Amino acid sequence: MDTRGRLLALLAGLVLLAAACTGASEAGDADAPEGAAGGGDAATAGTGDEGEEAPAGTFVHAADDEPLSLDPAQVEPGEGGETMILQVYERLVEIDPNGPDLVPGLSTEVPSDDNGLISEDGLTYTFPIREGVTFHDGTELDAEAVKYSWDRVMEMDLPGSAASLLIDNVAETAVSDDGAFEVTLDEPSASFLRAVVPQMVASVVSPDAVESNGGITAGEPNEFMTTNMVGTGPYRLITWNRGENLQFEIYDDYWDEPANLDLRIEVVPDPDVRVLGLRAGEYDMIETDPSFIGDIEGAEGVNLYTEGLLVEPIHIGFNLNIPEDELPEEDTIPADFFHDPRIRRAFNHAYDYEAFLQGALGGFGDFNPHYIPQGIFGYDPEAPVYDQQDTAEAERLFREAGVWDEGFTISVITEEANLFEIAALVLKDSLEGLNPNFQVRVLAVAEAQFDEAHASDPVPYAMWVKNTDPFADPDAYMQSYIHPDGEWGQIHGFAQGYENPEQIASLIDDAATEIDEPTREELYSELQNLLYDDPMWLIAAQEGIANAHRDDVEGFVLNTLWPRPNVKFALFDKS
Amino acid sequence: MQIRDYVLRRLLVLPLLVVGTSIIVFSLTRIGGSPIGIYLSHEMDAQEVAQLEERFHLDDPLPVQYVYWATGVLRGDLGWSGVAAAPVTEVFPAKLTASMELAIASAIVAVVLGLALGTYAGARRNRLPDHITRIFAISGASMPLFWFAILLLIVFWVRLGWFPVGRSNAEIFFSIPHPTGMYTVDALLATDATALRDALWHLALPAICLGYGATAIIARMMRSSLVEELQEDYVDAARAKGLPERLVLKRHARRNALIPTVTVIGLTFGFLLQGAVVAEIIFQWPGLGRWMADAVLRGDQATIMAYVMFTSVLFLVVNLVVDVVYAYLDRRVVLGE
Repeated sequence: MDTRGRLLALLAGLVLLAAACTGASEAGDADAPEGAAGGGDAATAGTGDEGEEAPAGTFVHAADDEPLSLDPAQVEPGEGGETMILQVYERLVEIDPNGPDLVPGLSTEVPSDDNGLISEDGLTYTFPIREGVTFHDGTELDAEAVKYSWDRVMEMDLPGSAASLLIDNVAETAVSDDGAFEVTLDEPSASFLRAVVPQMVASVVSPDAVESNGGITAGEPNEFMTTNMVGTGPYRLITWNRGENLQFEIYDDYWDEPANLDLRIEVVPDPDVRVLGLRAGEYDMIETDPSFIGDIEGAEGVNLYTEGLLVEPIHIGFNLNIPEDELPEEDTIPADFFHDPRIRRAFNHAYDYEAFLQGALGGFGDFNPHYIPQGIFGYDPEAPVYDQQDTAEAERLFREAGVWDEGFTISVITEEANLFEIAALVLKDSLEGLNPNFQVRVLAVAEAQFDEAHASDPVPYAMWVKNTDPFADPDAYMQSYIHPDGEWGQIHGFAQGYENPEQIASLIDDAATEIDEPTREELYSELQNLLYDDPMWLIAAQEGIANAHRDDVEGFVLNTLWPRPNVKFALFDKS
Repeated sequence: MQIRDYVLRRLLVLPLLVVGTSIIVFSLTRIGGSPIGIYLSHEMDAQEVAQLEERFHLDDPLPVQYVYWATGVLRGDLGWSGVAAAPVTEVFPAKLTASMELAIASAIVAVVLGLALGTYAGARRNRLPDHITRIFAISGASMPLFWFAILLLIVFWVRLGWFPVGRSNAEIFFSIPHPTGMYTVDALLATDATALRDALWHLALPAICLGYGATAIIARMMRSSLVEELQEDYVDAARAKGLPERLVLKRHARRNALIPTVTVIGLTFGFLLQGAVVAEIIFQWPGLGRWMADAVLRGDQATIMAYVMFTSVLFLVVNLVVDVVYAYLDRRVVLGE
């Protein structure tokens, strides 16, 4: 290259550098690169272009995962899409920000016996629909739209979705003459209002938007609704930049108190980058868990919120329906190993709860009774809990069951590199430390491999580790995880192990339809006492809340009954 | 053999190599188990799982599954990415162009700096500039990428706030059309200075991070081969003819020193493209590497297959191109022998 060529190259390089630095300096002016509002001037947040009108401010949340679907009819409970649905769609009744109580949403009243909106036979619920509410596409909300939304979920009945919540409860939906939405149930239910109506699957979508974009097909997802959102909530989805972020803006025609800030949810899978971004003020809030508290605690400008517990206990399943010829070759346990309640109790006594709670969770969490989590109606603080390792009692029970001298080898499958794997390793240490003849093989595998095993019926492993789904009502926990004829009761063959399966089933069924709350509470208390002696799970802990956000965030409120990260961004502001 | 004949012969063999590679990769991914897990959720019952297995032909023997996969590929169907919740063919172009953009930017950093530093150091063997370049090169080659990336983040994002993470400011990104999928190129095509600035601003840190390691390798290679060339007789002859040292270096020694360096550059580009996993994760760059890492962690075999096949074909093609460039630069090289 001659001198002129070199000069030209140098000049080109300088131009590029200048372009990059100009961008940097402009952001530097706002003290917030890429429009992030944290630590800077909120008035300039949300844009890196001085030529465009700046929005009032943007709240930036760094999430650990990306949604798979934004459609209430498709989203899986506990999945990232639920977080978005909570912000954009609304339901007939909502869970109050400050507790478990229900408050009116798109319905002007919460049905009760007192206001006469629940029929005398307890089967029909009437929801008067709020007037003056519009969808983000400009169409108006009415009872027909609510009926359309519920019927749509039930007609589509997508695999993996929460459609069964509606299908299993609802016999009929209708619009009354005075324009209210009416639901008739198959049988009276004490949990319908709490466990179904405020759930994301019961969100109300714009019928016009659905019908203009593919309509409803049974068993098939609607591609438009998977990636677009047309609700009535305080936020409107602007863009879903896959793999990067989702942008929402304040919905100006919102019927209730409008949101204060626009919202951007950044997809940041690396936890260290989330922590760095929060500390730098790039993110206003991040998704985290107790294991990162040490990295955040004491950081300048950061608030750490650690009150309360998630309602998704981490549990280790006992499989009573073991397919003997499919177990890993190394396993020496017989197929009926867990049929003996003494062995299940012995496992519960042997577990080092303290090690898991103080080690993996850094002390942020609590022990858990069987089986209703703290924070859920029906939780009995007086019920007995497995919260201390009792090696003497474990040894006594193992000896009594006749497995102490000979020992056994058992495999436990878990997802790799997360809290579940640590819970399994604590089980291994606990049992192998108790008796060298006990061997626990922790099979830590990729998520997909675990999901495959977990979805098998019967499950080809004697034990597995995961957390429960979050529910708002005790009946859902009981039906899924305890009832002998429930989801896991059938897969794991609980009926073969309960000392009195009929009694357990009858108590759960009675509590499901018992409208009187004190009586219902007593039934759950009785169940928790029974399940202490006849456990079908080993519950390692109930994980604590760990929410980290900037200290200029105002109006922070968190409710564990909302989908993770358990917040409604529309309630937040920044000083 | 003529270059044209050689290229044709290599192109004819290419499909066989691709099929062979696909059989090996398909078998290896299946060793880890069935790919059904990524499509499941714990809400599904056994019947729904069986329906899915039937739908994706996962209940058939492995060879039959391969035939389904291969015929799907020929139809342009690479399967469903469970991680991205979309067809692989739909996601792949966007991820590829994002990675290409980063790889090209890193390669530009690496080639420009690497050749310049290597030439500068080689021409000043065992003098101070040579030692400084060597230190620079050794540190670049030996520094763990994740550590360097985090270091850059802490200094330039957290402390100074000069550069952002991510690929773009979404508002600006969506304000221009994206015919190529490469933000920088699209911004140039749209003649939008704001978008170009945004693209370069976001590209700077990951490109420097990725490019630094490659710079070191290229600089070292260029330096050592230039030192060798400068000791050759033809260089002495050129000097004896009275050619100025600048021309000896530029017209003779550097041209020959480039031959082994071009091979390294070709391979480096391939590694930049597929080796950007760490940089893409840390800098939130939505490219193939980040997608792939997620797919491996979650056992998304359709994505893994697509990615591995892509990199295999890429390496085959890059090797072919390198061989041809090699022959072009050095006519003594006899192709195909």
